[in-house]
Amino acid sequence: MSNISIDEPRKKLLLMGNEAIARGALEAGVNFCTGYPGNPASEILGTLAKVAEKFEMYVEWSVNEIVALEAAGAATAAGLRALTAMKNLGANVCADFLMTVNLSGTKGGFVLVTGDDPLAHSTTTELDTRNYARLADIPLLEPATIQEAKDMTRYAFELSEELGLLCMLRTVTRLSHSRGVVTLGPIPSKKRLAEFSSQDLWTSGSSSITCMLHSVLHEKMKNVQTKFEESEFNQYVGKQDAEFLIVTSGTGWLYSLEAINLLRLQDDVGILKLGTTWPLPEKLLASYLKYTREVLFVEEIDPFLEQNVKMTAAELQAEGIGPIKFYGQKSNHVRGEFGAGTGEINVNTVVKALMEIRKIEYLPRRSEYSEKVQKIISSYTPPRSMSFCAGCPHRASFWGIKKAIKWYGQDVIVTGDIGCYSLGLLPTGFSVEKTLHCMGAGLGTANGFGNLKKFGLDKPVIAVSGDSTFYHACIPALINAKWNQANILYVVLDNNTTAMTGHQPHPGSGVNALGSPSPRISIEDICKSIGLEVRVQDPFDLEYAVQNIYQMLQTEGIKVLIFRHDCPLTEAQRREKKPVIYVDQDKCIGEKCGCVRFCNRVFKCPGITWDYTKGKAKIDELICTGCRLCADLCPEGAIKVEETV
Amino acid sequence: MSATPLKGPNELQEQVLAKKLCSACGACTNLCPYIDMVEGKGAIIIEPCGLNEGKCYNFCPKTHLDVPALDKIVFGSYREDLALGTNISVMKARAVDSEINEVAQYGGVVSALVTYALETGEVDAAVLAKSQDQISAEPALVRSRKQVLECAGSKYLVCPTVSRVSETMEQIRGGKFCVVGTPCQITAIRKMQASNFETQVDRIGLLIGLFCTWAFSPDVRSLIRETFGQVKVVKVDVPPPPANIFVVQTEDKRFGIPLDNLRRFIMPSCNVCFDMTNEFSDISVGSVEGEENWNTIIVRTKKGEELLQAAKNTGILEVRPLEQERLNHLREASLIRKKRVLTEKEADKVAYLRIRDEDKSKIIHEKGGS
Repeated sequence: MSNISIDEPRKKLLLMGNEAIARGALEAGVNFCTGYPGNPASEILGTLAKVAEKFEMYVEWSVNEIVALEAAGAATAAGLRALTAMKNLGANVCADFLMTVNLSGTKGGFVLVTGDDPLAHSTTTELDTRNYARLADIPLLEPATIQEAKDMTRYAFELSEELGLLCMLRTVTRLSHSRGVVTLGPIPSKKRLAEFSSQDLWTSGSSSITCMLHSVLHEKMKNVQTKFEESEFNQYVGKQDAEFLIVTSGTGWLYSLEAINLLRLQDDVGILKLGTTWPLPEKLLASYLKYTREVLFVEEIDPFLEQNVKMTAAELQAEGIGPIKFYGQKSNHVRGEFGAGTGEINVNTVVKALMEIRKIEYLPRRSEYSEKVQKIISSYTPPRSMSFCAGCPHRASFWGIKKAIKWYGQDVIVTGDIGCYSLGLLPTGFSVEKTLHCMGAGLGTANGFGNLKKFGLDKPVIAVSGDSTFYHACIPALINAKWNQANILYVVLDNNTTAMTGHQPHPGSGVNALGSPSPRISIEDICKSIGLEVRVQDPFDLEYAVQNIYQMLQTEGIKVLIFRHDCPLTEAQRREKKPVIYVDQDKCIGEKCGCVRFCNRVFKCPGITWDYTKGKAKIDELICTGCRLCADLCPEGAIKVEETV
Repeated sequence: MSATPLKGPNELQEQVLAKKLCSACGACTNLCPYIDMVEGKGAIIIEPCGLNEGKCYNFCPKTHLDVPALDKIVFGSYREDLALGTNISVMKARAVDSEINEVAQYGGVVSALVTYALETGEVDAAVLAKSQDQISAEPALVRSRKQVLECAGSKYLVCPTVSRVSETMEQIRGGKFCVVGTPCQITAIRKMQASNFETQVDRIGLLIGLFCTWAFSPDVRSLIRETFGQVKVVKVDVPPPPANIFVVQTEDKRFGIPLDNLRRFIMPSCNVCFDMTNEFSDISVGSVEGEENWNTIIVRTKKGEELLQAAKNTGILEVRPLEQERLNHLREASLIRKKRVLTEKEADKVAYLRIRDEDKSKIIHEKGGS
C-alpha cells in the first residue's frame, strides 16, 4: 500500500484508485470518515484509517451504511468535513437518510463515495448508484482517471461546503482497483473544531418546511449546474464541429480515446467527456450538439448519460439544434458480454459500436492470435470453480448443514446471504444455499419461508449469515422472527472478521477501524436478550456440529446456532508456526471403496491436491493452513498431523 | 459372496433404504465418509460416492442374500434343515455363575460364553450391544468379564453393532474378537467374510447369534417415556408367545404393554426377515418357551461346538437336551415366519432373498419342513 500521507505537493506517486480518493480527502482536510466494507470501495476507509492518527482524523467502520452516513452527516452539521464510503448496495441501505439530508444540508463539506461493480465481480447486483444522485438531486462527479479520483474528491468537499449540500462521487471497480500516477497537492494543516448547539436546527422538516427546503435544494442545484458548465473535469477532444460525437464518462473516456485512435477516426469524431454528470452542464452540451448529427453514448451499467442528454437534446430542438441520431445502449450498439446495460465495457465495446454505426472494417488481431493466447493461458491456469480457501470453517459448516439435512431426511430450505459464505450456493459449499440477495436477506426471507405453513409449505428453514452481516442487517429480522413466530434455524457463521472484503473488524472483533481495543458486542448475548435459544459450536468439531443442527431442526420456532471458528487467514497472521500436515502414502486408499478421494473430490479443500500418477492425495504445504480438519475426516486415518514446536 | 452381483450405493438406496428395509445393523456404516447411521432412521447416504460397486451394497443383509451360496461358504454345504438352518445339535443350557444369572435375561449362556472366550484367550475382545437405560442399545467393545456383565440382558431396540466391527479391528490391532448379534447383523458379517473385498473379518473368531423375531425402532422410547416418565427401568422383556406383551420392569413394579400397541414401532425390515434363529452364526442362543432361566442353543459350526464343549467341560454351563415338544414348537415358529416372508404380497420387499425353488415350495406348502 502506498504512503498517501506524504506532504510534498507536486510529487508524483503511484496510487490505487481508492487510495487516490483517500488522498483527495486528505487534501481536502477531511476530519471524519465512516463506511462499511464492500468491494470495490473497501480500501478508501482502510487507507484513511491507517493515517487517521497522523492527521487527527476520526475514522470508523460503522455497523452499516446508514449509520455511517448519519454519523458523518452529524459531523458536517457541526462544521467538520466528512466522507462516507461504501459499495453500490450500501447506497440502498443509506438511502433513507440520503433522501432527507439532501434537504437538511450540511455546514462542513460532505462527500458520499459509492463504488459500483459492473459485471458484479463481487456483488449480487449491477446497481448503478448514479441514479441516487438524480433521485436525491445532489451533485455527481465521475472520475475517469486515478488523478481525477483524487482531484474530484478534493473538489467535491469544496463544492459541498460552498453550497451546503452533500456531494456524491461515483467510482467503479476498474477505477478503484487500478493504479496510476497521481500528482499530489498540499495537505491543509488548519484544524477544525466541531460546533453544534441547541440554537442550531438541522432537519429536512415536514410538510411546508420540507417543500420549502426542497425548493431550496433545486436552487442549490441550479447553482451547481452553473459551476459545472465551467468545470475542468469536462473535457473535449476532436475538432470543434465534429458531426459525430461520443459522449462519455468514467471508464468510457479512456476506452473511447483508444478506440478512436485504433480506428483512426480522430479527424471525424469528437469526444465529450463529462466528469460532472448530475446536474448536466447543458450549455456545454449544447455547444457541441449544435454541430452534431450523430451521438454515441459510452458508459457503464445504466444509460444514465444517454437518457439525460436526450432530454437536454429534446429541449435544444426548439433552439434549432438537431435532429440528432442517438446510439448507445438503447440502440444496442454499446453492449457488454451479456447485452446492453450489463457487464463491463472496454475498448472493444467502443470499437465494435463504431464499426457497426460507421460501417468500417477493422480487425484488431488475427483470430489465430486469440486462439493461441487462449491456449497458452489455459496451460498455465487450469479452469477452477470458485472455492472456499484452504482451512475455511465455512466448508465444514456447510458440510455439517448438508449432513444434518440428509439426516433429517426431508427437504429443508436454506436461505443465504452476502459474504464469503455466498459460495454456499456453489459446489464448494455443497450447493446447500438456495437463495442469495442483499445483506440480511437470508434471515429476512426466512421470515417468509418460515411462516408459510398455512399455505402448505411446511418445511424447516435454515437461514445463514456471517458475523458482520449479523450486526449489519440481521437484528431486526431476528426480532421479527421471534415476534411473529417464524420457524427458522438461524446459523451465524462467525469467523471473527469481515472476511470477504479484506478482514475489516466488526462489533464483535474487539477492535475498531484503527485497530485499537474496543468493546466486544456478543452475538449470543444479543440473541439471548431477544429470548432465543442459542448454541455455540466450533464447526471443526463436525460430529457435534451435525448433531446440533439436526437437533435444532426438529424444534419449532426461531433458534440460533453460532458456528464459531476464526478465519484461517487472520489466524495465520497471528500464528508463528503451523502444524505440518501430510498424507501417509501407504495408508491413503485413493479411489478405492471406502474413500473415493473424499478429501480432494468431495470435501475439496484446495490445500489437498491429487497425485494422478500415484492415485493418492497430497497436501499442498504452501496453502495448507494446518487446520487439521482433513486429518479428522480421512476415513483411513491417512492424513497425519505433525505439530511444530 | 461370490454369487453377489457387485453393486453400489445407488442400488443400496433403491433396493433397501428407499423401501425402508434397513434394519440399522450397521454393516454399511463406518466403511466410508458417505453413509451415516442415524438413530431412528437407519443408514443414510449423504452423497453417492460415485462407485458402481461397493462394500455397502455387498455387506447389507437386505441385498441379494443367496442362502444356498452363503450356506456353502459358511458351512461347506447346503442346509438339510429348512426350519432351523444348518445345525450340529440343538439343546438347552444355562450359566452356572450366579453373578451372570443375576443380570442375564434368561439362562445367561451368551454372557458365560463370551466371558469364557475372553478369559481363555480364545478372543481378545467382543462386540456386544449395551444399554444405558435398559431400553436403548448401542454397540460396545468389551475386553473383560466386568464389561460383559454390563452388557447383559436383551435389548429390543435396533443396534448398529456391525458398524463397530471396522473400528474394533483398528483398536485391537492383530487381535481376534467375537461378535454377538441378531440374524441381520450376523448375516452381514458372513457376507463380509464371503466377499472379495479386502476386509479383515477372518479376525472375527466367533459369531454368537441371538434368536430374533423383530426389533423396535428407537422411536418407541418416546412412548415408554410418556408411559413411565423418569422411572428407572431395570429390565425389559418380550416373553415367548402366547404372552403377547412387552414387559417393563422398574425397581419395584412390573408392567406389561400389549404388543399390539407397539407394533407400529417394529422396524419394517423385520417383517421381511426370513431368519429367526440366526442361521449363519457359529452358535445361536434364544429363550426357552416356558422356562425363564434357560436358553435354547443351536450349535451350527465346529467352532461353535468346540466352544460349547469346552465351556461345558469347564463347568461354566449346565447343558440338557431340549424337549421334543419345545423343539417342534421352535421349528414350527421358524417355518411360519419363513412362510409368511415367502408369501409376502409386496414381492419387491423380499426380492433380496434367494432360496432354492423346491425349498420355497416345501416351506409354503408343507408344514413341518425337513
